[in-house]
Amino acid sequence: MAKVKKYLVLALVIFVAVITFLPFLWMVSASFMPTGASNTYPPKLFPEKFDFSHYQVLFSRLNLTRYLLNSIIISLGATFFSLFLNSMGGYAFAKFRFSKKESLFKFLLSSMIIPGQVTMLPVFLLLKNMGLINTYWAIIVPGMASIFGIFLIRQYAFSIPDSMIEAAKMDGATELQIYLKVILPLCKPILVTLGLFTFMGTWNDFLWPLIVMTDSNMYTLPVALANLSSEHVQDTEMLMAGSVITIVPVLIVFLALQKYYIKGIMMGSVKE
Amino acid sequence: MSEVILKNVGKVYEGKNRAVQSVNLEINDKEFVLLVGPSGCGKSTTLRMVAGLEEITEGEIYIDGKLVNDIPPKDRDIAMVFQNYALYPHMTVFENMAFGLKLRKFPMEKINERVNEAAKILSIEHLLERKPKQLSGGQRQRVAVGRAIVRKPKVFLFDEPLSNLDAKLRVQMRTELARLHHQLETTVVYVTHDQTEAMTLGNRIVVMKDGIVQQVDSPLNLYNNPVNQFVAGFIGSPAMNFIEGKIVNDDGIKFTSEMNVLQIPLDEKVFSKYVNSKITLGIRPEHFSDEDNALNKIRITLDVVEQMGNEVFAHFAIDGKPIISRLKPKDTFRIGAEVEISLDKNHFYFFESETGSRIV
Ligand SMILES: Nc1ncnc2c1ncn2[C@@H]1O[C@H](COP(=O)(O)OP(=O)(O)OP(=O)(O)O)[C@@H](O)[C@H]1O
Ligand SMILES: [Mg+2]
Repeated sequence: MAKVKKYLVLALVIFVAVITFLPFLWMVSASFMPTGASNTYPPKLFPEKFDFSHYQVLFSRLNLTRYLLNSIIISLGATFFSLFLNSMGGYAFAKFRFSKKESLFKFLLSSMIIPGQVTMLPVFLLLKNMGLINTYWAIIVPGMASIFGIFLIRQYAFSIPDSMIEAAKMDGATELQIYLKVILPLCKPILVTLGLFTFMGTWNDFLWPLIVMTDSNMYTLPVALANLSSEHVQDTEMLMAGSVITIVPVLIVFLALQKYYIKGIMMGSVKE
Repeated sequence: MSEVILKNVGKVYEGKNRAVQSVNLEINDKEFVLLVGPSGCGKSTTLRMVAGLEEITEGEIYIDGKLVNDIPPKDRDIAMVFQNYALYPHMTVFENMAFGLKLRKFPMEKINERVNEAAKILSIEHLLERKPKQLSGGQRQRVAVGRAIVRKPKVFLFDEPLSNLDAKLRVQMRTELARLHHQLETTVVYVTHDQTEAMTLGNRIVVMKDGIVQQVDSPLNLYNNPVNQFVAGFIGSPAMNFIEGKIVNDDGIKFTSEMNVLQIPLDEKVFSKYVNSKITLGIRPEHFSDEDNALNKIRITLDVVEQMGNEVFAHFAIDGKPIISRLKPKDTFRIGAEVEISLDKNHFYFFESETGSRIV
């Protein structure tokens, strides 16, 4: 009986996995079909022969290299700065003694209830005054520090015993050295988690880059892709090729880091 | 030379919570000094002020003749071993021990040499490549000590380093620490609330209570000449027995216990001024005897008898208060047995009940 149940569950899981995977598979295979071939009836799941022409066109004529580069620079930049600043903020809130610490943190937390859309206009104007519109900083700067990131790191840093920091002080470490050589390595799982969140969030973001990047040279992949879809409505295969290029890097990053990522999410749930 | 001097040192947490009050202490070069006292009496706070981990709110601390109040821990040239070891989990044992040297920019050969030397002293050479989580409690303790000794600091600070170990390991590590101190000849300040550790390890013991130093003396002097009832009760195991009573003038000056079970004639010169005041008599377990035909004999009934082989802990009551005595073993000591027991009048301690201070 238990065995039957196990197989039933397994079957269900496989079924859901296939359903989820199918569109993805189709996206990849359609991107290799010649123009128009994906819309024939009966629909084909695999291309009859691989056609790389869409990729060639994307990279040569449609300037996708530039967009890909934009996306990479912006996402890496945002991830780097957010890890750097949030980890410092979270560590300070968890381990430093300073006056009004708790009330300051609560105040920051309370700002989380403000929806992002509300702040878009003021932030845009702010960036415009700073002359950052149409630069990479327009996307990197607003995401550099986030309450969520600080909160995540702070909760994790609580689990680091004070005596470890004190031991480092006795060993002769400066505050910066403690942060770099003790706190950061110990926070690795949570840093990977936060880094992944930030990277994927920035990479996939559509609305904000659309607002701040008016120069087509500064488009990120999702924005470029949207443009592509309005210009080449009929060319499904071309769009799919663009989608593949957009999705694959995040996928690689996620798969490469998932080991740590899961560890990060589970961390702290069980006290050792 | 590395003596540590505390002058009127006090600590107030967050402007209201007083933890330590006017501590005056001179710790000599190469001395092993213990801070003991009940939980919350301010031992750790005092130690942490010496370490520089806690701000000194009052008074001055000198290390090696230099005022260190405003000097950060890293520049005080001291090392500390923590109760929970506080090893860096992401580093190997070697890296843990080398960390302080690396930060101080020692050349690599020197680091290797120092770490290997320390590892040899502590017999942890085979563990150098392991991570802390692959070590047992005792091994972690050694690594923590190793991390402190590689730097050859002026002063070692220990905060209850053995309290996380099981009883057997604790005894073993205690002996090793004593040997280590002998070998390294460095000044040590050691916090514990285990009075066996205190008695066996130190040159001098500082007994604290409620943030105030009660007495500073060698282990034997503390044992034989406690300045007050608190120290008398704190040092020694089993603890000193206390019998409350008062001084009366009835055919000469006498101490009588509350229910008149005990009547002890006393020296007029010392005690005449205490007539009618409440006094507590203290007597250590080993100063009872069933053989002596001396004065102060009383009949008691044994409540509990703990045969230890070489001695026996006999529990009974005087004035309804529980008393522990330490006697030579005898077959006749059994629960419920009636025994004539005498108190050694040369080892009486008298304290003013109100203040606890000793009457000499
Ligand atoms: N960070 C702090 N903030 C406020 N009060 C504190 C702080 N640390 C300690 N105290 C208080 O100071 C007093 C002394 O504490 P301390 O840690 O020095 O005691 P201790 O003698 O080491 O005790 P134990 O044997 O339990 O370790 C205690 O009353 C404690 O509550
Ligand atoms: Mg303590």
